[in-house]
Amino acid sequence: MGAPYVVEFEIAKDDFLAAGEGSGSVKDTLKMLGIPSAVIRRAAIITYEAEMNLVIHGGGGVLKILISPEKVEIVARDDGPGIPDVELAMREGFSTAPDRIREMGFGAGMGLPNIKRNADSLEIESAVGVGTTLTASIDLSGEGGPA
Amino acid sequence: MKVAALLQSLALDVHCSGNAEAEVCHGTVGDLLSFVMGRCPEQAAWVTIQNHVNVAAVAVLREIPLIILSDGRQPVPELTRRCGDEKIALASSPMSAYEICGRLYALGLKG
Repeated sequence: MGAPYVVEFEIAKDDFLAAGEGSGSVKDTLKMLGIPSAVIRRAAIITYEAEMNLVIHGGGGVLKILISPEKVEIVARDDGPGIPDVELAMREGFSTAPDRIREMGFGAGMGLPNIKRNADSLEIESAVGVGTTLTASIDLSGEGGPA
Repeated sequence: MKVAALLQSLALDVHCSGNAEAEVCHGTVGDLLSFVMGRCPEQAAWVTIQNHVNVAAVAVLREIPLIILSDGRQPVPELTRRCGDEKIALASSPMSAYEICGRLYALGLKG
């Protein structure tokens, strides 16, 4: 088993115009690597939501995708404010996004639930005042159908 | 139904013609991006009043062939440009989202 293929993006704080570009590139890369389309769809949702979380909440960060024959792993890391209550943040409809962001259609409280729904495994490590690292992975051993 | 036929049937104002031959098989309506991201069916026409470049980002990722801005919203230049780059059809209409959805449904797009 070789080292995974790695794609990494710096995500800037509040850069809504560029947001989605990282996820778009990931999607293109996965297509190029011949990953099944059902997996690509799930990975696209995860990377987009993770990217938006970095833009909106994390003060920017790094989005990293590791692709191996066994799995696609998406890691979003920021040095932002951290999540005081991860369980609460996972609840659909819960959001701390400010009003100006909600007006753009973000902050529905569906980002983390969308990630969870599309990942085979999800881990969130967060410390208040230190930052958050989210690791979501999709198993490639099956056919890549819905999680 | 093909994108081009749909644009014509609803007499929409076309800002990007996208892929005229792309099939539209479903419809979705909503202004919460994560909602559309999470729940949108494949090959759907998306009716929204959100008018910024992230709408195109969601459409790219979910392979939405057609975005319809309702209630007279005229797309901002960044949205038009991105839809052009990504070959996504972008149209607008003075009709309300409700009315557009009603017409899409009547054309056979059952959600």
